[in-house]
Amino acid sequence: MHFGGVKAVDGLSIDLTEGSIFGVLGPNGSGKSTLLAALTRFVDLTAGSLHLDGEEYHRIPAATFARRGVARTFQTVRLLPGLTVEENVRLGADRIRGRGIRERGKGDDDVAEAIGRTGLRGLERHRPGELSYGAQRRVEIARAIVAKPRLLLLDEPTAGMNQSERQEISALLRELREEGLTQVLVEHDVQMMVDTCDHLFAMNFGKLIADGVPASVVREPAVREAYLGKRWSEHV
Amino acid sequence: MIAWYDTNIILIQSTFVGLLMALSLQVPIRFGVFSFAGIGCYGIGAYVAAIMTIRYEWPAAAAIGAGMLIAGVVGYLLALTVRRLGGLYLGMATIAFDLIVGVLAVNGGDLTGGPSGLFGALADVTTLHLVLISAVVIGLLAYSERGAIGRRVEAVREDPELAASMGIDVRRHRQAAFVISALLGACAGGLNVLLRTTIAPTDIGFSLVVLALTMIIVGGSRSWAGALIGAMIFTWLPGFLEFSGQWQKVIYGVIVALAAIWVPGGLLGMMTDAYRSWQRSRRDAGSGDGDRTPLGSRAEGTPA
Amino acid sequence: MLQDLINALSLGSIYLLFALGMSLVWGTVGILNFAHGAIFMFAAFVSSVITDQVRLPLPALIVIGAAVGALLSVAVQLLAFQPIMRRAKDHRSGEMQILIGGIGVAAIPLAIAEEVTGSNPFGFAGSSYVTSTFSLLGVRVTSTQLMVVAAALVIGIGVIVWLRFSRSGLALRSIGVDPETASLMGVNRRVLSLSTMAVAGGLAGLAGVLLTYNLGAITPESGDVLLIKAFAAVILGGVGSMAGVIVGAYVLAVAETIVLTQTSGLWVDAVSFGFIFAVLLFKSEGLFGRREVRRT
Ligand SMILES: Nc1ncnc2c1ncn2[C@@H]1O[C@H](COP(=O)(O)OP(=O)(O)O)[C@@H](O)[C@H]1O
Ligand SMILES: [Mg+2]
Repeated sequence: MHFGGVKAVDGLSIDLTEGSIFGVLGPNGSGKSTLLAALTRFVDLTAGSLHLDGEEYHRIPAATFARRGVARTFQTVRLLPGLTVEENVRLGADRIRGRGIRERGKGDDDVAEAIGRTGLRGLERHRPGELSYGAQRRVEIARAIVAKPRLLLLDEPTAGMNQSERQEISALLRELREEGLTQVLVEHDVQMMVDTCDHLFAMNFGKLIADGVPASVVREPAVREAYLGKRWSEHV
Repeated sequence: MIAWYDTNIILIQSTFVGLLMALSLQVPIRFGVFSFAGIGCYGIGAYVAAIMTIRYEWPAAAAIGAGMLIAGVVGYLLALTVRRLGGLYLGMATIAFDLIVGVLAVNGGDLTGGPSGLFGALADVTTLHLVLISAVVIGLLAYSERGAIGRRVEAVREDPELAASMGIDVRRHRQAAFVISALLGACAGGLNVLLRTTIAPTDIGFSLVVLALTMIIVGGSRSWAGALIGAMIFTWLPGFLEFSGQWQKVIYGVIVALAAIWVPGGLLGMMTDAYRSWQRSRRDAGSGDGDRTPLGSRAEGTPA
Repeated sequence: MLQDLINALSLGSIYLLFALGMSLVWGTVGILNFAHGAIFMFAAFVSSVITDQVRLPLPALIVIGAAVGALLSVAVQLLAFQPIMRRAKDHRSGEMQILIGGIGVAAIPLAIAEEVTGSNPFGFAGSSYVTSTFSLLGVRVTSTQLMVVAAALVIGIGVIVWLRFSRSGLALRSIGVDPETASLMGVNRRVLSLSTMAVAGGLAGLAGVLLTYNLGAITPESGDVLLIKAFAAVILGGVGSMAGVIVGAYVLAVAETIVLTQTSGLWVDAVSFGFIFAVLLFKSEGLFGRREVRRT
């Protein structure tokens, strides 16, 4: 994926197997968000191809791809300011009817469940502007999981959250994995990534510099040098 | 009551025509599409209805329906043509479209009556028809502002990219906005011409765009009710301002300017805000403290 | 033929004088000022009212018109556009509210002029300047036409030179390209915007007075028509390009003159509207504009 002369993501090949959490690690500007955008059809590939269930999908619109059961969040908070928390979550629920959805329960139950699981109970009738930053991010996660997607891509979902909130999100993501949800997680918190993910991709300058089991990826010299710096080297 | 109705019948009719016309600009705005093409479609609807009535003596419903059909097709084609444009550029392109409709009307020869327009479009349209049609339109639009459709429209307007990530086909929604706008505009134009029996190119110029826009700015752009408030104000205000004598147009101008600058949500937006903050204060006062802990203070800047 | 060319030249010069200010503000401060037409008209209107009382020569009316235009333009910026910009949540919604706000404030001067004149045309009957007509090689040229063309070319080229070579011009161009960096480099955006609005308003006032002399009289509504035409000239040349707006204004005038002479005359307006539509669809950066780079 190139923007003019910028090679934002280049020569990268990844394979996502069902039911695991894949982490993407890399310094700012290394192409993580662009990778998610490419995977979810928000930007067109300059070269290469995308497959879901063995079927090519690199020409379909983003919305069509989303209807196949793929949900994502964005790096910045994107809630609809005019709707309440509950309505924002419901927006995620009333969309998907296409194929790829494992089940489609009653909207109300799903919404209540998503709100409960993200710890937003009691805030249903508030508007996003009245919430703390962490709570806003949790609404986004609720909105993404409410439709019971089969693939979930999260771009720095815990940015701006405190430690305990992060642990809650991490626990929630692992719980969702146990239910069979495949996830791609972009995060900066290395400890959280190691704790949460089954598999890590490390990127720098748009290229894959390491991939494999989290604990071993974060030990690779290239990764430490590119991203982790001294802090983590001392830590291990 | 009857006497009041009789003396004010023109104003009552104008209110509903104004409402439909204002809605033809408001619907696209609600979809996040800054299109003024509804006014051009008002012209199309008016001319088609007049031509069908005068030349072919079609019944009113068919004449208006024909105008709506043609305008709807034009609206759809326009949506395809301008699909790459957004914001300001879309606004200006659609204003150009409106003005081109006016130029076509001037140059339409016998068909459109040239610069002097068409006369004698007599039909049996009554105020009751107008009210019924408006009621149906309001019903449909009110439905579209609620529930799943309402949320989708909100998402398409506020954040098209987010909407796409929810599986919403943004392009289709935009096209729908153009078509609905065209139908509403043409309906207003058709009804008006059959009530007034005449139409001329000067009736559909830039000032009509400004009038319809004014109604929405002052009334509010987020809901049909805003358009209704605006249509009522700008139909009846001149009468109420008669006491101010010759300066009524200036007062009118000041109201529009103040609303445009200071009240972006219009009167309806002001009322909604007031209602919401009342609701919030009641909720905060009424609920227990457990409710409030997760709220925290709203983060000022968003961490990068 | 030569006569048509002269007419096209003076028409294009009026478009240019009007469009220069609009383009300057839009290309640098980023505001498409929909009150520009009302400012133009109101400057001419005030001049007309004054010269009905006091018999004034043309230079005095030009000064009055330019001053009224500048003042009005600054007032619009202070009272309308700045509050809107402060409240807008992002550039996109700000842009729209500016457009709507411009339409809103334009209603006030229009209403005043309509009220006073009873929507009738007004002119400078009281002025001491009388247009004289020359006949050269069978072509009629008025002294006002000559003045309009000269003013348009001198001011048009002057603005280009100013933007390119003066310190303030450079600063102005920098806020058009990259507002954030410009303010980091110490460019005072507020002051610069205000003075740009003043210059644009002054040019509009000048155009108003000259056009009124040229036509004999104008109606309060004539600002709206010119606004759309100037918009066509600006986007034809390319937003942000001063050379572009000069070319755009004359191309539009020549095209209109051709249509005027070849058809019944009723199609003239279709030219500008058609240009707007065609340019936006097929070459949105215009003839000389830079392509907009939008980053997410
Ligand atoms: N729309 C765009 N146009 C040009 N360059 C872009 C665009 N979006 C991202 N980039 C560039 O691509 C690179 C990768 O960005 P991004 O994917 O956002 O990184 P990350 O999410 O890892 O911080 C950066 O150098 C960024 O500046
Ligand atoms: Mg990123």
